[in-house]
Amino acid sequence: MHVDKISAWYGPKLAIQDISLDFEEHSVSGIIGPSGCGKSTLIRCLNRMHETIPKAKVEGQVLLDGQDIYDQPAVSVRRRIGMVFQKPNPFPTMSIYDNVAAGLRLNGVRERKKLDVAVLESLKQAALWDEVKDSLDKSGSSLSGGQQQRLCIARALAVRPEVLLMDEPCSALDPIATAKIEDLIFDLKKDYTLVIVTHNMQQAARVAETTAFMYLGKLIEVGRTRELFERPREALTESYITGRFG
Amino acid sequence: MPQAAERKALATGLQKLNENMLTLAELSELAVRKAVDGLTRLDLETANEVFTLDQEVYGLQLEIERTCIDLLALHAPVARDLRTITTSLKITTDLDRIGRYGKDLAQLTLQFRDKQIVERGDVARIREMADRTISMVDTAIDAFVRRNAETVRNIIEVDDAVDQLHDENFRDIVRRMSEGQLNIETGARYLLVNRYFERIADHAVNIGLRVVYMVTGDWLPRIRAADRAKRHDGTENKSST
Repeated sequence: MHVDKISAWYGPKLAIQDISLDFEEHSVSGIIGPSGCGKSTLIRCLNRMHETIPKAKVEGQVLLDGQDIYDQPAVSVRRRIGMVFQKPNPFPTMSIYDNVAAGLRLNGVRERKKLDVAVLESLKQAALWDEVKDSLDKSGSSLSGGQQQRLCIARALAVRPEVLLMDEPCSALDPIATAKIEDLIFDLKKDYTLVIVTHNMQQAARVAETTAFMYLGKLIEVGRTRELFERPREALTESYITGRFG
Repeated sequence: MPQAAERKALATGLQKLNENMLTLAELSELAVRKAVDGLTRLDLETANEVFTLDQEVYGLQLEIERTCIDLLALHAPVARDLRTITTSLKITTDLDRIGRYGKDLAQLTLQFRDKQIVERGDVARIREMADRTISMVDTAIDAFVRRNAETVRNIIEVDDAVDQLHDENFRDIVRRMSEGQLNIETGARYLLVNRYFERIADHAVNIGLRVVYMVTGDWLPRIRAADRAKRHDGTENKSST
């Protein structure tokens, strides 16, 4: 996936400016930066979520397999580019099974056998199957926070996206649940391209192959994660990651 | 990004680390200087002081290691903080070794004292070797203190001159031993003295290269003089054709 000169606004306010970035296939890319730097805005531009906000505007291109996602229907874009949010948000009235199957049903899949296979595979991929296989009819909201987040990941995976965007996926989780999600991210990159926005720099260091640092709506530096955390090129990056900001 | 309190704790830890590193460097260098002084004057008392210094160097090295481990475990440092801590961790070993060679020189002093008299010409050679290596250690430590990579970028070339002097001394000692001008036992001790200084210079190189990494993040390759000469010839040949 290639981002070319993306700028985004909330009404008249410019949130991100002229950002160009490559996200490697089957790899984890991290985006870090202080609050308000535009990292969540950027990730929301990657599957056309930003434009769902009233008066929000996007300019530039996001190319997936060479085609601009802004030239394609938003719904099909979001099927190809899934998203997991900061706070786990399973559909509260739906069972675990129905949560995972929801995306497929929206896409017109009705056949029970197909749904069963997709639910099983997605829950396995999300490393949740062993914990919920005997309680698929229970409500998704009955699960723990970490399980709910993995359920949301399973739901995103069920429609077989090519890219999975994660916006602070562990910020509401305890260290054990966080470790499970990080292990999952490590496994998922075999099949998916992952982009993760995180406040937790150590998390970026642990899971991402490449890391981008944003500040005040601009991309300051992007590089191999090890390089960025060991010898950043930009003084601003160094100041941020070592906590010497301001 | 680390929170303000965490940042302050890390800054305090780094400051303590820096102060201890300076003390360690001073103690190690003092151990070598005293050892040289004791050896060239065959002064038993001075030589004995080196043993005490060596103990202090070892104790401080352990303390620095503990500080580094604490800083790594508690603060997960990155960028220049990470490089400073890992470099300090590595350099302590070099400084400890330098102090250890001071102790070895002091031990030889005690042995010389019992058996032989150090000749004036040999004293001059020992002093020359000592001056050059101590100067290298000085330069490397100064670069660490000032966080200045430029002064140590050529430290490998400086070491070449020390290696050359070591080789000359080695050949001279062996020749004098084989011609019967130098007692075998004394000659063997001279060879050790010569070798210890050459090794101290090697540790100064290690420190210098680590300082370059600490300051810039660049790893300078450690290439042997002969290989460098080959490369140099290759470049000249290419440019002349």
